[in-house]
Amino acid sequence: MKKESSKKKSMKKIIKAIWIFNWFNSCGFCELVPVVGSRWDMERFGMIVVGSPRHADVLFISGYQTLKSIKVAQRIYEQMPDPKVVLALGSCTMTGGMYWDSYNTIKRLDDYLPVTMYIPGCPPRPEAVFEACSKIFQHVKEME
Amino acid sequence: MKGNLKNEEQLLKEIVSNYNVEGKIQREKRVWINTDKENLISICKFAKEKGFEHLSSISVTDWIKEGEYEITYHLWSYEKKVLLTIKIRISRKNPSAPSVSSIWDRNAQIHEREMHEMFGVEFKGNDDLAPLFLDDWQGLPPFRKDFDWREYVKKEFYNKDNEREVVYRE
Amino acid sequence: MNNQVLLEPIGKDEYELFFGPAHPGSGNFSVKLKVEGEIVTSARANPGYLHRGFEKLMEYRLPIQNAVLSDRICILESLNWNLIHAEAVDELMGIEIPERAKYIRVILAELSRIQSHIIWFGVFSIGTGFDTGFKMAFGYRDYILDLFEMITGGRVYSAGYICPGGVRRDLPKGAEEKILNVLDKINEMVKLEEMGNPALSARAKGVGVLKLEDAIRLGATGPLLRAAGMRVDVRKEDPYEVYDKLDFDIPVRKEGDAYARYMIGIEEIKQSMKIVKQALKDMPKGEHIAPQFKKPKLNMKIPEGEVYVRNEGGRGEVAIHMVSDGSAEPYRVKIRGPSFLHMISVLEFLLKGVQIADVPAVYWSLNICPADLDR
Repeated sequence: MKKESSKKKSMKKIIKAIWIFNWFNSCGFCELVPVVGSRWDMERFGMIVVGSPRHADVLFISGYQTLKSIKVAQRIYEQMPDPKVVLALGSCTMTGGMYWDSYNTIKRLDDYLPVTMYIPGCPPRPEAVFEACSKIFQHVKEME
Repeated sequence: MKGNLKNEEQLLKEIVSNYNVEGKIQREKRVWINTDKENLISICKFAKEKGFEHLSSISVTDWIKEGEYEITYHLWSYEKKVLLTIKIRISRKNPSAPSVSSIWDRNAQIHEREMHEMFGVEFKGNDDLAPLFLDDWQGLPPFRKDFDWREYVKKEFYNKDNEREVVYRE
Repeated sequence: MNNQVLLEPIGKDEYELFFGPAHPGSGNFSVKLKVEGEIVTSARANPGYLHRGFEKLMEYRLPIQNAVLSDRICILESLNWNLIHAEAVDELMGIEIPERAKYIRVILAELSRIQSHIIWFGVFSIGTGFDTGFKMAFGYRDYILDLFEMITGGRVYSAGYICPGGVRRDLPKGAEEKILNVLDKINEMVKLEEMGNPALSARAKGVGVLKLEDAIRLGATGPLLRAAGMRVDVRKEDPYEVYDKLDFDIPVRKEGDAYARYMIGIEEIKQSMKIVKQALKDMPKGEHIAPQFKKPKLNMKIPEGEVYVRNEGGRGEVAIHMVSDGSAEPYRVKIRGPSFLHMISVLEFLLKGVQIADVPAVYWSLNICPADLDR
């Protein structure tokens, strides 16, 4: 019990600002980049984009994944330090979406990575991405 | 549409008189020619001398009922402003064709590399036919008509025991 | 096996570097570089991270369904791809499109080209270290996306607004004044970009020079040929829609380096604004869709035949070859994207003999879209 409560306290101290890893795949590029830009500025909430997976807390899988790129995503996930969160963006990532009968895309992200949150849409609006990010803070408080 | 087809008619006359081929003018700026595998390289060299220096694309159509592949070459000339299309037919078993990379260099080499990966056509004279998009693919070349994607996807990705994921069409 | 990340020494000073998809300066595409000291000796492109097989997906669907799928071939200029697919089906079926629909199509295609060039500046600036340019570009791009949402219903993907037969709905009320307001704002941005930035010009001048003979031999099209001195544009040579009635210029430069390509992009935005203003003035009143497509039947058959259509996209020449055998779905669709040759043959040629620090400047100046390479 003592070990768990000290771990929880130290995690609460760590997660006050979220650092996102720069893996903008396919369709996510066009709707995540305005979130970084000046209209829906996300830096005022403490979220920035970093270039190395060793510094990041959140991995956005933002678009359909093919058999070749899911291997790269798994390797990145293994390099990120704990605690970490994976967000799946878009309907093609979660269920196969419009490319359900393609031989080269994966149909369910759950089989490859442990996903925390799903954001539907094709592509989802920037406001939806914000709401998901604010729920991360809440999720961390309830996490063990 | 404009009515003045002089360029196209002159081009078709020159080609038909030099080689024994059939051709037609589809509309303004579009000339289509049918020929066979043996004459391909000489017609292409003739076209390049006449000013067709831009190879727009190379494509393969799979006519499975007739047992043939049809390869089309689309050429554009910047001076005459006409598109010339050359079509040849080869058989579907052990398909092979001569490569035009001796005439149009890297442009043709990369298009032929993609067609080799997707349809399985051997281009003789092209020395770089490594796979381009797929990684360790063992199976039929993916774009052939006898490789049904929906059957393949049902077996590989969708779970038969899960009722919500049974896929059917009409 | 040959696609793993490798970093092994080959000779005394030589080693291999993997400039891959998770690099902040590279997008969804990877290049394997052989480096000696600081200079690159050879490069080999490694595409395929976004391959979905569009050409065969289209064989299973009707043309109306394909109109929604054709948006997603390249997300950065989705309305241009919508337009070329609709043109291919129109020509195969032999349909006459009303004049008003042609003008609306031209206006949307030019707005999409302006939006795509703005993205080009944003990523080119961030690749060479000019961070303010990136924030500025994506701020101004949002005005155009709001306009798309008002006319077509979607910010980035328009759900098949330009469909075979015309366009789905007419322009709403007040669209014309709003378009002119947005064009004034974009004019402000062009004036700011023209002033230039010392960091950008120092890093981009004299880098990545592509001469005309090499460009034609390697199959380059579009802005790469114009930056090397050749006055060529598919809208003037092989006109489609109403481009033969509109009046615009083609900008040309002689040097062929990365800075020349950047300046040509700015000039093209100005020419596109001129086209949109003319089209708004000349647009006649009338129907917005051909009568047989007003309530289309689901088993409308496409007559037998084949067709090859060419358009000018923001990045170069765009083409579709469609074959039909008389049934309701197309038999074979071949899509030719501009980035297919730019990223494999031109990039490997230009990266020889360049320093590692110049690799992002050369790479982003070619204006590539990995999605239309892999399709």
